[in-house]
Amino acid sequence: MRGVAMKLILAAALVVVCGLAAPVQAKPGNAENGEKIYEKRCLGCHGEEGDGLGPAAEYLIPPPRDFTLGLYKIKTTAFDDDIPNDDDLFRMIRDGMPGTAMPGWSDMLSEQEIWDLVAHLKIYAGLEEETPSKQLDYGSQVATSEDSVEKGRKLFHDGDRCSECHGAEGKGDAIKKLKNDNGDRTWPRNLTKPWTYRASSDPKDIYARISVGIPNTQMPSFADPKSKKKLSVEERWHIANYVVALTKKGLEVRPENTVVKAKRIDGEIPAAIDDQAWLQSEPVTFMLVPQIIAKDRFFTPANDTISVRALYNERDIAFLLEWDDRTKSIPGDAKAESIADPEMGQDAVMMQFPVTIPLGAEKPYFLKGDAGHPVNLWHWTSGTTEAEAAVAMLDGLGMAQQTPREDGGGGLTTGSGYQDGTWRVIMKRSLTTDDAENDLQFEEGRFIPIAFANWDGSNSEIDSRQTITTWYWLQLEPSASAEPYISGIVVALLVFGALVWWARGAARPGEAA
Amino acid sequence: MKAFRIPRLLQFVLVPVVVYAVTRLIFDVLLGQLIPASLMTMYMFFVLAGTFMAFTFTEDGTRELVAPIKALVEDPSRKWLRNVVFVVLPLALGFYTYQLRTPKPEAPLELRSIHPAPPSTVKAYDKRFNLLTLENPYRKLQKEDPEAFAEMVAAGAAVYIENCQYCHGDKLDGRGPYAQGLNPVPANFQDVGTIAQLQESYLFWRIATGGPGLPKEAAPWISSMPIWQDFLSEEETWQVILYLYDYTGHAPRSWEHE
Repeated sequence: MRGVAMKLILAAALVVVCGLAAPVQAKPGNAENGEKIYEKRCLGCHGEEGDGLGPAAEYLIPPPRDFTLGLYKIKTTAFDDDIPNDDDLFRMIRDGMPGTAMPGWSDMLSEQEIWDLVAHLKIYAGLEEETPSKQLDYGSQVATSEDSVEKGRKLFHDGDRCSECHGAEGKGDAIKKLKNDNGDRTWPRNLTKPWTYRASSDPKDIYARISVGIPNTQMPSFADPKSKKKLSVEERWHIANYVVALTKKGLEVRPENTVVKAKRIDGEIPAAIDDQAWLQSEPVTFMLVPQIIAKDRFFTPANDTISVRALYNERDIAFLLEWDDRTKSIPGDAKAESIADPEMGQDAVMMQFPVTIPLGAEKPYFLKGDAGHPVNLWHWTSGTTEAEAAVAMLDGLGMAQQTPREDGGGGLTTGSGYQDGTWRVIMKRSLTTDDAENDLQFEEGRFIPIAFANWDGSNSEIDSRQTITTWYWLQLEPSASAEPYISGIVVALLVFGALVWWARGAARPGEAA
Repeated sequence: MKAFRIPRLLQFVLVPVVVYAVTRLIFDVLLGQLIPASLMTMYMFFVLAGTFMAFTFTEDGTRELVAPIKALVEDPSRKWLRNVVFVVLPLALGFYTYQLRTPKPEAPLELRSIHPAPPSTVKAYDKRFNLLTLENPYRKLQKEDPEAFAEMVAAGAAVYIENCQYCHGDKLDGRGPYAQGLNPVPANFQDVGTIAQLQESYLFWRIATGGPGLPKEAAPWISSMPIWQDFLSEEETWQVILYLYDYTGHAPRSWEHE
């Protein structure tokens, strides 16, 4: 009796799990209609033949999917079955692929139209008659807990199982050159940035990637019993929970964060990148966009965000810039060059300020200033085997006109370090200088435009091949003033006085009425 | 039997509150279109003024409205309530003033004209174009030679995918992969408020001279629109304009229809 009950419970659990796994039910699509939709909506990137060779193919990272291979990143069939479910295809079209040029189409195509597209896409790889034989086994999900995350952490690092490619801290920085089956360069995911996960950061999606692998890439299946690094169902759930816990908290881009707030401190500004004093300043993270505006344009960036902290005292102001970069690019270093795509440059970062704080709305052109509005450019470079990391001050009058100062640093000092896929760089200057004509004079409380640029030297990012931000703001947090308190008390007293005066008037009949 | 009636003073307070809540509910929640604060302030000013006029239209009405306020200081039985009001009101206004005077880390507002008036002529491709008479040279193919027109649109699609989708998006909705990193955000061509309101010559001006070609009121220093005459031929610019209208299903404005 007990055995039967057990089986019933297991069967019920299986139904629930499968139900969760397939939130959409495959419907028959009309491939002919799908072809029409394809021609209007998809052909531009995925090409006339469905081979991913549309006009923008070489400008997109990752490139558009080649449907003729029939291999897809998001797949919930078993690891040894190459064919994806219709539901998988449906989902990729409906939700798009975050962190790529592929948008979700649910606002423009009806469900039926997406099913029609699914039917059409399968034809490119001759999959229209095929049905997947085996499904991914989700087992029973292990809810996240400290214990599970710790188990996952051990499994992640055990024998370099995951850290071999994803790095010690999961930032995808392990020194290994990866390729997909077509021989194109690919990069392991930076697991601390869940907004770049192609599916989602739901543990179920992570579990599926660990179990099935990512077809056409070097991400293997850890469910494959032949794998030396194979994992049980439970172990895979632990790793999924660990990966979720890797999320970089507080360092994600938030559209409402447009102001870098420099915090006032007493005493010296820390010179070390890992000094606890930096934690007093709340970091603000900005999205980096490839420089696709001025000649020569650049379309295939590697780094996507930069985080900024700022501290100041009565004399100096300093910034701590932090960004994930999978490669430490030191030209001349044999190991760095073996990983880099030629031609290799130094890693670099730049901060940009107007020379004068604008009084009205008018600012310098956000790309390195313009003829009438010069900018100060604080340019840090990572160094080569012959030269150490250094900082230079440039005067900018536009993309094509950036002149280094004769004295080099222009009063800037720097400190920097690279660890586990993250650069941290400090740049420091005095609040004011005696050259107000050419140097920005920082002022407490004012909103000062600030912009950034970044180079990953191993990704051939040199000169105009860079990532940039548009203008944001810097504010040196004003020291506390008594003025708001005084105003508040004065208004309260005035109102109270007026009320008393009114009540007295009313109490004397004849006068008030 | 006397029916329950909301006191007139409470009515006076409730009317603007309900108008405000309903407006917010309709626009912010149901339609998802946030109302700019400045517009809401202006609107609420008129609502308050209107309510005030309606409630003080007759003398009896005015008397009924202010009666509870007068009673507060005149009626000895309300003494307790009066003392509370006399303490709470100054404190509340004092606190409000304090909040108002405390510097906030919010960035200054940047007002800019999104569709500034175009100049009458524009210099591009080493030529001078008269924007008042300029027309898309390929538009006439739409009627005369639909096949050639479709080819032009397809050429425009390729120009778009290769150059524009990074910011303006595959769906022409202004939400390309890099849109999130740009301020101001890229134009949404699907929106009825953009290209559907404009002539093709306006688009030609905006594309050929890009952000730096904007007049001052449109804040050219923050626009990340490239100067496309540096990258696209005159023909490609006209082709991509055809594509923008074709894909979105909008029709360009023209002198003929007005």
